[in-house]
Amino acid sequence: MEKSLRQKRGFLFYVSIYKKILLQDLKSKMSFRADFIISTFGMVLTNLSGFVTFMILFHNFPSINGWDYHHMLFLYGFSLIALTPVQCFFDNNWNLRFMVRSGDFIKYCFRPINVFFYFISEVFDVKGLGQFAFGLATFIYAWAHIGIPVTAVTIAEAVLFLITASLFMIALMNFAAATCFWIINSGYVMVIMFRFKDFAKYPASIFNGVFRFIFTFLIPIAFVAYYPSLVFVTPDNVPLLSWLSPLIGALFFWLSYKFWMLGVRKYDFTGS
Amino acid sequence: MTSVRKMTALTRAGITESLQFRLGTAVTLFANLIYLALVYYLWKAIYASSGTDVVNGMTFYDTMIYLILATAIFNFLEMFIVWDMSRAIQSGEIIMHLLKPMRYRKYIFWSYSGSLVMSFVQTFIPTFLVVAIITRGAIPMGWNLLSFAVSLLLALVVNYNIEMLVAPICLYTESTWGINIVKETIVLLLSGATIPLAFFPEGLRRVVDYLPFRAVYDIPLRVLLKKGGTDTWQGLLPALGLQLVWCIVLSILGNLFWNRAVKRITVNGG
Repeated sequence: MEKSLRQKRGFLFYVSIYKKILLQDLKSKMSFRADFIISTFGMVLTNLSGFVTFMILFHNFPSINGWDYHHMLFLYGFSLIALTPVQCFFDNNWNLRFMVRSGDFIKYCFRPINVFFYFISEVFDVKGLGQFAFGLATFIYAWAHIGIPVTAVTIAEAVLFLITASLFMIALMNFAAATCFWIINSGYVMVIMFRFKDFAKYPASIFNGVFRFIFTFLIPIAFVAYYPSLVFVTPDNVPLLSWLSPLIGALFFWLSYKFWMLGVRKYDFTGS
Repeated sequence: MTSVRKMTALTRAGITESLQFRLGTAVTLFANLIYLALVYYLWKAIYASSGTDVVNGMTFYDTMIYLILATAIFNFLEMFIVWDMSRAIQSGEIIMHLLKPMRYRKYIFWSYSGSLVMSFVQTFIPTFLVVAIITRGAIPMGWNLLSFAVSLLLALVVNYNIEMLVAPICLYTESTWGINIVKETIVLLLSGATIPLAFFPEGLRRVVDYLPFRAVYDIPLRVLLKKGGTDTWQGLLPALGLQLVWCIVLSILGNLFWNRAVKRITVNGG
């Protein structure tokens, strides 16, 4: 009996559960329509502000470190798309510290499904979709202007690298959120990590020495856009790190998941 | 109790409270240093690609000092008034504040003053010193420091008034996140905190000049760097005067809006 139950909990089991939870979340969101409209407007405004900053920068400086306008636009679009999943699917991480502090978090531990999955699936952030549309438009525009060939291979590569690039930011936010299991009021860790993402849209070649290392391996924002983009932008000269980025992304995500779950186990033991 | 003692009591309480979270201060300071490195490398690369040393009257060091201190000012001035007020409204706690023998607007300002003092000492000053050392004396050290301090104080009041003008919107809608992000995005972009106003194209510059946001970041930093003629009395006084005018105008608007909005409060039960 127990074995058959466990077998059922494969990928499809989780997909069907996710659909159910998502639907409930959307229903409750739609009942606060004004909030939805204002939040979406705010999100569009942040993207617009980022774009205006970008345009002002290029109004004064024609290129950055050998990257011209369209190549920078490509990086920018790439980073916006890669930063969408963390916004849409992993937004509940921002609530983690309140849940843990108030003790409400315990409810997630009593369900016969994965705690991380259950907690994360509870919130789907619709306003991230505006960013996705904005990013996709920028990405396609830059793609066409650089003249990257449109073949089945390049499109498949784009999908693969965008998805794996998104894992880096997700992992960073998982790490930042999970610190609340150990540190009271750890909101600032998340705020700081979230701020670093603004630099994902610049080529990491501008850093050297220690900071190149930090932004590649410790706070891996260079993987959010720069390394994966090189596959498309300089197809003749792709560094090894670019090809490895899907693997490294998976590793980072797995580590952040383990760290998060370590926090949950520590939380369990405190009892109360 | 005299009113001065009432206020300083709140200041003291705030200082004690922020001393509790020393780890947060250390992490913020460390993050500011990493952020400083990011800004440094980014603008070094940008200036290296441009081929000239001075762009729109700003050298590389000017730009760097401007942007990093803008971030430091942001951390220093950050008030969560919109969040606090929305939480107080939703929990009904606001009624307790209204019953206190001090106007709510005043109460908020003075209860923040303690943490403002602490964050100034613990994060702003260290960041300032690090920037001054790294840029090897590119920050002019003289009377401008004093005018910078005055300007920063005025910026604080302008920022507080912007917050207080926006926060009562929470009485009309529950979209706290939305209101806050709209406010923050507009202030950061149009005040020069994201990219110095000197780089803005002419048309946009003229619009921004008539808005209050530059009084929060652009004017103090310009005073510090002695840009735009602020190293003479003829240039300095209009700049500080403009900040003062915005303090007064925004304060009046905020008061009017608050008095109107507060009538909407209905707390169910008790």
